[in-house]
Amino acid sequence: MSSAAGGKEVLLSIRGLTVEFRVPRGILRAVDNLDLDVYSDEVLGLVGESGCGKSVLAHTILRIVDPNGRIASGKIIFGGRDILSMSKEELRRFRWKEIAIVFQGAFNSFNPVMRIFEHMVDTTLAHDENAKKDEILKRSKELMRMVRLDPEAVLERYPHELSGGMKQRAVAAMAMLLDPKLLILDEPFSALDVLTQKFFLKTLVDIRRETKKSMIFITHDLAQVAEIADRVAVMYGGVIVEAASVEDIFYRPRHPYTRALLKAVPSIVGSVDELKPLPGPLPDPVNPPPGCEFHPRCPHRVEICSRVRPNLERVDDVSLVACHRWRELN
Amino acid sequence: MRWIFRKAALSLFTLFCAITINFFLYRMMPGNPVDMMIQQFLALGYSYEEALTRVSMALSFVPTAPLHEQYVSFLKGVLTGNLGYSIWLATPVATILGYGIPWTVFSVSISLVISFLLGIVLGMHMAYRRGSIIDKVLSFYSSITTAMPQNILGFFMIWVFAIQLKWLPASGPYSGVDPRVFNLDFVISVLRHAVLPILTYVLTTVGGWILTMKSSTISVLGEYYVTAAEARGLKDRRIVTAYVGRNAMLPLFTRFAIALGFMFGGVLLIENLFLYPGIGRFLNQAVYARDYPLISGLFLITAVAVVAANFMADLLYSRLDPRIRFE
Repeated sequence: MSSAAGGKEVLLSIRGLTVEFRVPRGILRAVDNLDLDVYSDEVLGLVGESGCGKSVLAHTILRIVDPNGRIASGKIIFGGRDILSMSKEELRRFRWKEIAIVFQGAFNSFNPVMRIFEHMVDTTLAHDENAKKDEILKRSKELMRMVRLDPEAVLERYPHELSGGMKQRAVAAMAMLLDPKLLILDEPFSALDVLTQKFFLKTLVDIRRETKKSMIFITHDLAQVAEIADRVAVMYGGVIVEAASVEDIFYRPRHPYTRALLKAVPSIVGSVDELKPLPGPLPDPVNPPPGCEFHPRCPHRVEICSRVRPNLERVDDVSLVACHRWRELN
Repeated sequence: MRWIFRKAALSLFTLFCAITINFFLYRMMPGNPVDMMIQQFLALGYSYEEALTRVSMALSFVPTAPLHEQYVSFLKGVLTGNLGYSIWLATPVATILGYGIPWTVFSVSISLVISFLLGIVLGMHMAYRRGSIIDKVLSFYSSITTAMPQNILGFFMIWVFAIQLKWLPASGPYSGVDPRVFNLDFVISVLRHAVLPILTYVLTTVGGWILTMKSSTISVLGEYYVTAAEARGLKDRRIVTAYVGRNAMLPLFTRFAIALGFMFGGVLLIENLFLYPGIGRFLNQAVYARDYPLISGLFLITAVAVVAANFMADLLYSRLDPRIRFE
């Protein structure tokens, strides 16, 4: 990948990233030699089935790894620095200031014995010891209004006094506290009801329009991606199988997995019979299939697919695909 | 504010029940202790009338009166601080309590605080370093000592520190000083005599705190808000104290309050071994001497302590955990 594809600057560049976990059955490879670029001023939608490694990837960008996990190899370059080789203190100062993350199940992100505003103070002071309380308050109020929350009603409250949707918004506000260059949203809507989801998504789209902030938006809901993302990366079995503009992903999908994924989404006009669920389970991450990760479930597989893992090939300025047969299948 | 009054009223009611049971239990037990006291005096050669007068004096009620009258006069006695006379020591029970309570409160509160703080620090350390040598050694130590009677370790302490090394006195609250003169010598003597009982208490109870704190910390470490705090770039010290420690300690405060309430009943073995003149020591002696007025008074003070500690725990807990606030 060139550093300025489509005239855009690369903000975050992941190369050859492998993340492994020790499990009773052996070594589980959640992210397997993965390459991915995120450009500045874009919203990258990262989609894939549950268990494909999306969340692990998101956490690894901030080097948040479970005690039984290990970053086996790779580089994550951000602003000319490799996150994976930072010292502990460097990493601490980097987190939230440069890249902030809204976790899946973010409503558990608050310390139950602290008021929301105390979290804001804690976070600001961790990065700027001389920050003044009234400035933090001013900034917090501004952010609360940005996520459509009433500052007076939220900042002095304890987490348990807020609804799940309010907490989610408060976490999103906190993510923007230090004005990070990149915001990672890891399934921010999980466990919220559909109406709350819809309202929050609209807020995020507005925020995106107002702040032009770069985001990685992780979800398994393609409809959400269509509303907010500029570009989409499709993840399967710990690797990126296709990355392209939103239009290309929805109207000209190149990878057989992307096509299968689109066919598995119910449409409001089509009948249920047109739904084609993907046959077979996800590949076993402890014993991944040889060759292409997707070949056991792929309707177009040929002999080479079970032997050689396809590289992520450049299709045009924006699009990348990892399939031996993408040319002939189009 | 209203729930505080409700809690206080409930506590008083609990106390009232405890006092009532305390009265009826030993008035109605088979082999009625009051009759037995009369028998004891008769055996000493007193006439029945004399025996009755003496027992009535000791008990703050007249044992031949109807039961409800006895009960009312017993309650009056409790409210006015007249808890009867100890038969064994021929002293008002209230005076004995006044003498014993300070010794127990002094030694147990120090022990409890040390044990609690030590348990919290070590338990958290073990939770952070699971599987380390320290974790394994302390887990083993805690399982052994929580299962061991306190006086076994106490014997060992006396043998090592008092008999072999001769560093510390083996028993008593003080020695070689005049207790009526409060000076530095007296304070030093008291402190030196308290070392072994306190050490024994701490060593036998710290294991419980360690294990509770360890498991509590481990469960808090698995919470999202800890990972979230790390992701926000908070300093380790801040996360350990305000995020992990603060939340992991919450369930331990309840236990602490309960332990505080049981301080008078919980040190019987230690106080007897070290001949320490606290409530536990008097309780043991009173049981041997069948000194019912004294036993009754000691039970009363234990009940008061437990009820008061629970009330304090409720108040404290609502201060510490905003989720428990009632208004």
